[in-house]
Amino acid sequence: MSILKSLTGSLCVLFLFGNVLFAGPTSEEVAREVDALINDALQQANVQPASLANDEDFLRRICLDIAGTIPSPEEATLFGLDPSASKRAAKIDQLLATDGYAAIWASYWKDVIYLRATEQRAAFSRATFERWLKDQFAENRAWDEITHDLLTATGTVSEDGETGLIFAHTGQPQELAAEISRVFLGIQMSCANCHDHPTDQWKREDFHQLAAYLPRVSVRRSDPQDPTSWVVVSLDDQPGRGRGQDFDPARVFQFMDRNRDGQLTKDEARGPIAERFDEVLARVDADKNKMISKKEFEAARPPMDQPGRGSTEYFMPDLNDPSSQGKLTQPVFFLEDVKGPRLPRSATDTQRRNALSDYVTSKSNPWFAKAFVNRIWAEMLGRGFYMPIDDMGPERTAQMEAVLECLADGFAANDYDIKWLFRTIALTNTYQRKMGTADPANPDDVFASATPTRLRSDQIYGAVQDILGGGQSPLGGRFAAGDNRQMAMAMRAGRDPAKVAFGELFGFDPSTPQEDLLGNVPQALFMMNSPQLNNAIAARPGTRLGEILRRYDNNEDALSELYLLVLTRQPTDQELKINEQYISDLGNRSEAFEDIMWSLLNSTEFISKR
Amino acid sequence: MFTYRHDTLSVTRGGLSRRSLLKSLSFGALATGVLSFRDALTLQAEELRRQGRSLIVLWMQGGPSQFETFDPKPKHENGGETKTIQTAIPGVQIAEGWEKMAGVMNEVALIRSMTNKEGNHQRATYQMHTGYVPSGSVKHPGFGSAVAHQIADPENDLPAVVSIGPTQGAGFLGVDFEPFVVNNPGQLPSNVGAPVADTRMNRRLGLLGQLEGEFRERGAEVGVENHRQLYDKASKLVLSPETKAFDFKDEPAEVQARYGDSQFGRGCLLARRLVEHGVSYIEVRSNGWDTHQDNFDTIKRNASQVDPAGAALIADLKERGLLEKTVVLWTGEFGRTPRVNPRGGRDHYPRVFNSWIAGGGIKGGQVIGASTADGTAVDHTPVTVPDLLSSICKAMQVDPTHENISPLGRPMKIVDGGNVVEELFS
Repeated sequence: MSILKSLTGSLCVLFLFGNVLFAGPTSEEVAREVDALINDALQQANVQPASLANDEDFLRRICLDIAGTIPSPEEATLFGLDPSASKRAAKIDQLLATDGYAAIWASYWKDVIYLRATEQRAAFSRATFERWLKDQFAENRAWDEITHDLLTATGTVSEDGETGLIFAHTGQPQELAAEISRVFLGIQMSCANCHDHPTDQWKREDFHQLAAYLPRVSVRRSDPQDPTSWVVVSLDDQPGRGRGQDFDPARVFQFMDRNRDGQLTKDEARGPIAERFDEVLARVDADKNKMISKKEFEAARPPMDQPGRGSTEYFMPDLNDPSSQGKLTQPVFFLEDVKGPRLPRSATDTQRRNALSDYVTSKSNPWFAKAFVNRIWAEMLGRGFYMPIDDMGPERTAQMEAVLECLADGFAANDYDIKWLFRTIALTNTYQRKMGTADPANPDDVFASATPTRLRSDQIYGAVQDILGGGQSPLGGRFAAGDNRQMAMAMRAGRDPAKVAFGELFGFDPSTPQEDLLGNVPQALFMMNSPQLNNAIAARPGTRLGEILRRYDNNEDALSELYLLVLTRQPTDQELKINEQYISDLGNRSEAFEDIMWSLLNSTEFISKR
Repeated sequence: MFTYRHDTLSVTRGGLSRRSLLKSLSFGALATGVLSFRDALTLQAEELRRQGRSLIVLWMQGGPSQFETFDPKPKHENGGETKTIQTAIPGVQIAEGWEKMAGVMNEVALIRSMTNKEGNHQRATYQMHTGYVPSGSVKHPGFGSAVAHQIADPENDLPAVVSIGPTQGAGFLGVDFEPFVVNNPGQLPSNVGAPVADTRMNRRLGLLGQLEGEFRERGAEVGVENHRQLYDKASKLVLSPETKAFDFKDEPAEVQARYGDSQFGRGCLLARRLVEHGVSYIEVRSNGWDTHQDNFDTIKRNASQVDPAGAALIADLKERGLLEKTVVLWTGEFGRTPRVNPRGGRDHYPRVFNSWIAGGGIKGGQVIGASTADGTAVDHTPVTVPDLLSSICKAMQVDPTHENISPLGRPMKIVDGGNVVEELFS
């Protein structure tokens, strides 16, 4: 019996093990393959790849990439002293398990979605969206599942974070079609909104057939008095009831005219009619009795079946006659080889959006995995296979397409396991190389060495906090009081108002290519002159600098400690020389060290990932 | 501001490369030292940069009612309770509350036939500020930044684009044309004043320049160079005597009084001072024009600030001989409904609204277009947003069909379509 049991046990283990193998290649396998492919390509181009970065550089890089922080001086020292050969892999795993990982990447995607929002009122839902996404990343839900939730979401915007993408565009089919294709597939189709794409194969029909998956998404306020009561609903939630039925006079009067006098008063009105009662009244109340009769209401009824106005079908606008209804258009997915469900005519919103999600996330759709891999790779290595990262597609050419395909295939075979992808990329030698003097514009040099990139606002904020903070926010106070209304909103939503204000100043659209990220004058002025930062670098008791100067009488030791704190590395001999010269020229140790710390915080290196 | 500041001239973004400049100049003059490189550059820049024209936009956020501003309808019930006053243009009346503006109407071309389709604040504001309707996948550069991109003097210490209150960004036109936002006109903007003495700031910048060497040598040459240009620009501003333009200490009290003791009044005064200091685009924002309720009293309150400030700005520019090269536009994102709603308000109405322009060679003392007697439609000479912006381009001597190339390689005209309203210039 016991033998049988243990046999069954081993079989189970075998079976499970076999299943794991079957499920997809490991990070280690794919990382090796990626390196081999890249090394081959570099060899053919006669380019020598850079050697691996030292521990300091690797540690700062991986901490910023995975957890959005910089390592403390203690962590950096310990990591350097750790003799284990597998310490880098262990550090990657450790960081992927932190709270910071889920937080920094939730914030990243919040920026991807919301910095392109066409609905400005969407700002209030950012915190909810970010929180929801953070939970998804913390649980390591698969990218196709997250995508499915974002595309098919219904619910209350202030509570259900997955409604964020739909709400950011107020459910507008054309805006959503353009964004879904850009964000999840890396394909830019919005040019085809108005004309056939000038350089690509996309026709106007392709774009509008994509938008036709979305005409039944409805975004409205559930309580007209409450500006945050937005909901995302499907118009087929109540069978037979279309958007136009809101304004069907027979139904309106049947439900709302409770005293049956044939007149609708403000007290009787409900829903969207109550929301706009005064407006409607001003327009239709011919006899000025402050009530709306059925006849007056009929006269004001909006015309049916116009795009976006009371129609549950999608109409492609007629460019020659923009005020006409346009051409009835059925949903069709624009990539022919992708497998997905066929929809019946007049399919419901749920059917349409589920079908769209199936097409987008289908394993027969290579662009879904490629778009995610290209984006994350570009974020970690400073440039993507396709650039800009959200302009890919069958008519673009990638650099080292085979590498992208290898990663995308592995990602898909691992059922779009996000942490698997981060781990895989981080394990490659390509990621771990040191910076080189390679010309990033030279296609032969690509990925031969690490490319320095500009940090995102959250990363800079995290770094500044880590360096100056000791838990307290050195950037609070007057800085956070910049725009009171916005800060109050951030506080209510449970966000750090100083971080929000910092994001306003330092934030940028994460889909922007690195070469376009030049910073701006107010950012430089903040780092140079803000009283908060200047107070926090004063060499007095209670500050980090004050502490360093108290503990180390020797300038060289103090400089080492300061460099480790701010830049996670030791100063070079040359830097020691420059700084020691500066200290002796000035003849005032405290003032000199304040100036040195100011210079380090204002350096290119500080706001870069190296 | 680093040690090598003086031979760096950030002109490449203005479209002038050092190499092309050297080609076009006599090498001999440079070599013999008759002309320093810097002088030569200034010469060329002046030719290209059209002698410091400026555009001021007075932005009425929310959509000002045409009936209570410059297109009253006293004889129609849609006109509501608003009374009219006579202006300096014979036979032309505007709403009461705008007495000071009435006095300078000889300088103003009033457009009563503005028409558009966007009735949503954000969309209409975006359109009026960029010349394009919003689209999720493209961020269009602000019109002010696009104009500044054409005319700004790269040698100026002050930013080319300044906004008193929030506005549209420069998009892909980049750092040099990003609006510099001022929240408290009359004093130095936050973080422009250094927390340490100028000598120490210079010392810090010098040390920073030296310490950048290591990172540059390790392979961040491009990043360090961009950073240096940015810090040059920022420190130039911090250490520049020109920043006194922001501080009203030297402005006579009676001049300040003329503009009015209000945020908007101070904004307009700052606009004039920035024009004197060569800033290309200045926007001054007035909030609170979204009068869904209590339309009449709200506008009286708003006008009590905007009327004296706008009139003082025009008169002051004129007296100083600056109006010829400065264009002033007053507008909001749309107009308001002819029918007064039950809350005494007027709702959004893009179909007809009004704007005015002064300066820059535009013929003042005239009214362009008209609305119908009940104010529900344009009666004649409709002017669209692209028409308006194209006309401003003409007054600024900027080609509205100039194409900037977006990061995705898409050519984008400064203004998308539209025709110059020729009446403005005749």
